[in-house]
Amino acid sequence: MSTVGTAGAAGASRPSSAGPGVLAERAPVDRRGEGVRSFWTAVRLGWQMEANWTDPLLFFIYSVAKPVAAALILVVMLQVVGGDATARYRSFVVIGTALWSVVLSGVAGLAWAILDDRERYRMLKYVYVSPSDFLVVLLGRGVARLGVGSAGALITLVIGVLVLGVPFDPARVDWPVLIVATVLGLLSIVALGLLMAAVCLQTRQESWSYPDAFAGALYLVAGAVFPLAVLPAPIQAIGLAMPLTWWIEAMRRALDPANPSAIGGDGSLFQSLTGQVVPGTAEVLIALLVTGAIVTLAAAGVFRLSSRRAKEQGLLDRTTGS
Amino acid sequence: MSTRLDLVGRSGTDPRSASAWTRRQVLMTNLRSIRGRAYPRYRGLLREKSWVMFEILLPFLSTAAFVFVYRALHAPEQYVGFVVVGGAMTAFWINVIWMMANQLYWEKSQGNLELYFAAPMHFMSILFGMALGGMVMSSTRAIAILVIATTIFGVTFAVEQWLLVVAVFVATLAALYGVGMVLASVFLVWGREAFHLGQFLVEPVYFVSGLNFPVARLGLVGALSVGLIPLATGLDAMRQLVFTDATFPVGTPAPLVELGILLVMGVVSILAARWMLAAMERRARRDGRLTVRWQ
Repeated sequence: MSTVGTAGAAGASRPSSAGPGVLAERAPVDRRGEGVRSFWTAVRLGWQMEANWTDPLLFFIYSVAKPVAAALILVVMLQVVGGDATARYRSFVVIGTALWSVVLSGVAGLAWAILDDRERYRMLKYVYVSPSDFLVVLLGRGVARLGVGSAGALITLVIGVLVLGVPFDPARVDWPVLIVATVLGLLSIVALGLLMAAVCLQTRQESWSYPDAFAGALYLVAGAVFPLAVLPAPIQAIGLAMPLTWWIEAMRRALDPANPSAIGGDGSLFQSLTGQVVPGTAEVLIALLVTGAIVTLAAAGVFRLSSRRAKEQGLLDRTTGS
Repeated sequence: MSTRLDLVGRSGTDPRSASAWTRRQVLMTNLRSIRGRAYPRYRGLLREKSWVMFEILLPFLSTAAFVFVYRALHAPEQYVGFVVVGGAMTAFWINVIWMMANQLYWEKSQGNLELYFAAPMHFMSILFGMALGGMVMSSTRAIAILVIATTIFGVTFAVEQWLLVVAVFVATLAALYGVGMVLASVFLVWGREAFHLGQFLVEPVYFVSGLNFPVARLGLVGALSVGLIPLATGLDAMRQLVFTDATFPVGTPAPLVELGILLVMGVVSILAARWMLAAMERRARRDGRLTVRWQ
């Protein structure tokens, strides 16, 4: 299966004595190099599929409209209620909504790559049997969409600062925490996307809406737009087990230390478990690392099982008219 | 030799005479087309059980998130009711965008579109079938979200004019799906931009329609929305009717006036859909885009 790809990848390093028919004598495979090349090719392909249908300006408008409108909905909700909540929570909801657009695109990216290739372009089986690692190709495709979501988040934050009155002072930003949290958070989001991709490998007609529905459910428990303390304790526990909750908390702290905590607070489950009202920044990062690692391992395991079952059951080339 | 032919149930002495349909035959074929296109939508409710999880439970959680935003802000309980009604109505808007507007683009990608055009029926029958099936499908989801959310969050409705509520609801659906038909005909000539426009029409429309708050709060934008977007008009009218004890910011018309706006929207959008479908079909045929996939 990998003969063609190996021969092509080996290129100049192929021994000159090897004739074209000697397939057994394969040149040494640079697996790492091949993986990197597959990944970047998939990223480029994903980006082309996302962006080449229109001119850059229209693409930009379409990409930022969704997160900006989502932030505006919440800002108006704050204004409707009025009082001191408006000022206190404005930064909280704008940052949370902006970051959520990264989650939406990351969770949907990998799952929709599966669905696009299986249902629409009918290419999934060819991608699967190609010399490239299936998982690497999927990750590349997902990263392209994640990039679009990240751009939307950045623009939403800029609009939040310029138009919606979100305070931003570069001197007060905790840059090391911001960088560490961004890296760990993006890895966790990709892991959740992989989990959805594993689900969509098995499911049928309605699968297109699954990533959004899944992200919608996470929205409730991740403290994206309201503190977890208002939720019942069992749901708070689910939130505390999710890396997204800790990621958003870390990002909020890094960007605007005056933000109220989404995790702690009076009467919160976190307070009853630890005795602290709010977690420290180091604790937030450690929790993000631990929960992110667990989710990543679980997602990799589930994807491997799902991929194997899809192959055994013939699901890779089964289109379902969706 | 004049032997009578039986061509798919239509008798005639030759293919030419068999192809001259009576009005009844035309009507019955179009009604069958409507039923046929609606069938997979309501039948799908029973076949793909996973929708219960992904189309009701998880969207309910998303609606619940907005309820908790108001709870966190210690907002009056009437706003919780606003969110619940808005959450239920999103089922219809999502259906209009993804299963009406985008449907023809997907049919084109799957190779069904040319079959629709080649079949002996009016294309509007396909759109009506899609709309009817979509209404059934979305109604189950909307009712489920409404019942679950009302039960869990303890929303109480104060309705004085049930008949008007039903009339507004039906008129809202007619106007929403009319807009869906218009969009479907526009999307006929589009490629991947259809998908992105679909995305574009979700959150921004939720915002200008006042999904989780009274639309009058948006001032001029809200007034324009009530005049142009059925979701905004229907939501505002229904909120006024089912929460009669709540205080509303002034600025939007009375429910009866909004019912009139919805009826006008419904009629205009269905007529516009018919005209646009013909125009877009001509353009798509001329440009050779009816069978171009995946571009």
